[in-house]
Amino acid sequence: MEQVKEGNVRRVNGEGGNLVKLSTTRFGYIEVDESRVIMVTEGIPGFEHLKRYAILPLDKKTPFWWFQSVEDGGIAFVVVDPYILKPDYNPVISEDDMRFLKIECKEDMALMVIVTIRSNPFVVSANLRAPIVVNLKKRLAKQIVLGNSSYPVCYNMVSREPVNKVRCPERDLMQQWQPLPVSL
Amino acid sequence: MLILTRKLGESITVDDDIKITLLDIKGKQVKIGIDAPKEITVHREEVYQMIKEQNIQASGNNDLAGQELCNIWNRLKKVMSEE
Repeated sequence: MEQVKEGNVRRVNGEGGNLVKLSTTRFGYIEVDESRVIMVTEGIPGFEHLKRYAILPLDKKTPFWWFQSVEDGGIAFVVVDPYILKPDYNPVISEDDMRFLKIECKEDMALMVIVTIRSNPFVVSANLRAPIVVNLKKRLAKQIVLGNSSYPVCYNMVSREPVNKVRCPERDLMQQWQPLPVSL
Repeated sequence: MLILTRKLGESITVDDDIKITLLDIKGKQVKIGIDAPKEITVHREEVYQMIKEQNIQASGNNDLAGQELCNIWNRLKKVMSEE
């Protein structure tokens, strides 16, 4: 993904399709190429009405990204590659979900987790219980709520607790994971 | 709310394609089987609510400046490198 800044306009370029233009809280006015938009057909819990998102890099110095709604400029989430926080993270994604997202091979797939930052007291947590699984090729995503997992909804990124062990009957499937490519 | 009484092993159908079966009862625990098309998402209510609340909280971070996130990352990196 090429991201250019022209004047005050941040632009996410793709294959030269239509541009989605919107005004955001975080980035001001942005333009996202239609081909870079990610469809979250079910929406994410709490924001079911929003189906279209763009992944915007924050800064090359951090592993955080913005998962920005392209339908509501006021809604954006800080997301991070879970492996950076927890290299042994290994959630079980069901075959139904893999099919739903049309994931055919591991190269298509990436994972992100949503980060919550609270200032008083200072706590940064990541939701390891409900990763966002993305099919990069087909531009489809879903926030998957891990049913029987003991991964916490609030994994404290500073103290790195609670650290839970998890049973992974479908471990092979999850070998298919890959870190979020920087060139997304 | 529609309330139905069912015996062990009996089912309820919702629309044409969702079937909910009462599989087992042990004390205060009831085991329920759900047959539904895969585009229908089924969640334990309390887990789903937790995720929803967390998402709503997380969306409140959309006014964070890039520099603040950089500082947070530097702090985390420091913690990680101490291990």
